[in-house]
Amino acid sequence: MDTKEQKAEPASSHMMFSDTNVAPVPVEPELLEVPASEVITTVDGQPKPQKKPSTPLQDSLRRLRRDHRAMASLVVILLFFVIPLTGPVIYQHIGGPYHSLLNGTIGPSVYHNPFHQELDRQDEGPSSQYWLGTDAIGRDLLARLMQGMLVSISVALLVEIVDIGLGVLVGTLAGFYGGWIDQFLARFTDIMFAFPGLLFAIMLTGIFGAAADQALSSLPLVGANGNARLVLVSLALAFTAWPLMARYVRGQTLQLKEHQFVEAARTSGTSNTRIIWRHIIPNLFSIVVVASTLNIAGTVIGESGLSFLGLGVQPPGSSIGLMINDALNLTDTHPWEVLLPSIALTLVVLALSFLGDGLRDAFDPRSKD
Amino acid sequence: MYHERGDGLSSYLAGNDTLEQEGEGYSMIQFLVKRFIGLIFVVIGVTFITFILGYFAPGDPIRTLLGEHFDPVIYATLKHSYGLDLPWYQQYFNFLTGLLRLDFGTSFHYQGRAVWDILSQGLPFSLELGFWALIIQFVIGVPLGIVSALKANTWIDTTNMTIALALFSMPTFVIAVFFQVIIVQLHVHGGLSWPVSNWGVPWHYTWTDIQFKLGPILVLAATGFAYLTRLARNQMLEVLRQDYVRTARAKGLREPAVVYRHAFRNAMIPLVTVFGLSLGLLVAGVFFIEQVFNIPGVGQVALVAISDRDYPVIQATTVLLAVGVVVGNLISDLLYSVVDPRIKAA
Repeated sequence: MDTKEQKAEPASSHMMFSDTNVAPVPVEPELLEVPASEVITTVDGQPKPQKKPSTPLQDSLRRLRRDHRAMASLVVILLFFVIPLTGPVIYQHIGGPYHSLLNGTIGPSVYHNPFHQELDRQDEGPSSQYWLGTDAIGRDLLARLMQGMLVSISVALLVEIVDIGLGVLVGTLAGFYGGWIDQFLARFTDIMFAFPGLLFAIMLTGIFGAAADQALSSLPLVGANGNARLVLVSLALAFTAWPLMARYVRGQTLQLKEHQFVEAARTSGTSNTRIIWRHIIPNLFSIVVVASTLNIAGTVIGESGLSFLGLGVQPPGSSIGLMINDALNLTDTHPWEVLLPSIALTLVVLALSFLGDGLRDAFDPRSKD
Repeated sequence: MYHERGDGLSSYLAGNDTLEQEGEGYSMIQFLVKRFIGLIFVVIGVTFITFILGYFAPGDPIRTLLGEHFDPVIYATLKHSYGLDLPWYQQYFNFLTGLLRLDFGTSFHYQGRAVWDILSQGLPFSLELGFWALIIQFVIGVPLGIVSALKANTWIDTTNMTIALALFSMPTFVIAVFFQVIIVQLHVHGGLSWPVSNWGVPWHYTWTDIQFKLGPILVLAATGFAYLTRLARNQMLEVLRQDYVRTARAKGLREPAVVYRHAFRNAMIPLVTVFGLSLGLLVAGVFFIEQVFNIPGVGQVALVAISDRDYPVIQATTVLLAVGVVVGNLISDLLYSVVDPRIKAA
């Protein structure tokens, strides 16, 4: 969104959900209450004239920064993105050559590979060679965990693209025009709410999983290492997720439609497409961010759950759910192997929920009890 | 969505959308008719999705059944006996009418065996698991929520709500795994003997049976319990702020009477509607609980059917569970209209 678009709707600062604007909006200064903390005092004690009143988004971000739980969650989530993207590259360069009885002399790029089995090094605890230990067939647990996290974030991104795309499209159309799109959305969401989402995903991946493995295994990037089915998993999860997003967007669009700035735009002859594009969609920002943060938590759970049931990532691939399932019968002798992925999953899911809550409170302070 | 009321997030996100159905004053008959039409529509939708996924399932089941070399005549007769030579709309019609008679067709994997026969092996286990989990989440969740509301913003409330939020956010199978690790480690290090796998005799409650069943039931109930605790707390706080509660206090009623006779009853009304949502949570949870605790219920039946590519069994499981959730939603809506007299006043 560029600033030119924003200038087209100066009236938006009057509306209820004004904190959804992304870029600075030029408004008459007297309409904004300037918080005391915003008046910057210079060294000589003279109040410096206000350069720019803080935008609603800046207000929201300030509220978010004060929410310690949300900020801690944000750190966890950032780690969850950074570690799997950069970690493997670094990890595969750390460590000296290892003289394996079975595989000859190998370097860290081999034994720190998530798929490499070192069959005489099974179920080990953390050591300098294997930082988080090894699993039941001698694979590096840290490498597998990072690979599993990569799977989680890839699926989450894919699902969110579909979820936001379809949800915003159908939601705005249904809210703005009503009519048959609205009817369709209402009926469709009724069905999808009745159909427990995970049940649908289990059925879809269960029936088409094996076929997807065959058909997609030649795809670059996703095809290798038993990840082919992830495309199907993402589609299943996205299909169950988007009606809720559309429902939220529809509700918000219905409210926005009644605001004066939309009326003003219409009176001045703006076309419907332009109203939706310039006045409705930018103001959906906060609701989409909150809903998709919470939906990512659901997606991460969904992917790991399906992999846990054997319907997601296939061996030798790695996923957090698959790691838990692999180690499920070792709870008595090697509980670490099952605890590690479980704790990682719990941390990221809790962080996503807390951040979602924090974002909601930051965007709409009135919603707090 | 009735069951979303009271949840701060949903009502915020959905805007005033959720309020549409409130305060319009349906007559009872109108309400029932409207709900029933909605039910039929949803059931058709759910069954159609299930059917069409099975219809487009890859591979030729008859061919798999017969093996590499087969007689084309036998192939044709078998295909006919399964009804697979019919056009899709007739197959769907047969599928629907079969459902009404609890006839889910014939298994692809075990030749000639009725799907219902296979499913009904797992049904008692899952029904018992779900039944107790549903009861327990209300019995524990609601009182805890009310305690939290009465002690709002004390350490009791904070601890309670933090635990509830954590349990609500965590995936069921991770809660189950943590539970299992704790029990197993207590066994290894503390000599506790408590089973973490298998299920006793369905609907029998000797001490051994209870030992088997208690863990899985508690874990399955955890998610719904957490949701109910949060909801009960918010409802109770809301009601305690009302004028009539203040009036009750002002006219000198003792605190227990105020809480239980005036506040509690009104706070409970929206909780009835959560019944449907809890069913949805339970249905998805069953698959994971049965996998972790090795319980031979419908979830396991479905997973075995998936690895056998026994599509009719997969379809039947899905339809059974989904229709169960739909009916649960209907029941909770009906309960709502019974419990809340305002909805009857036309």
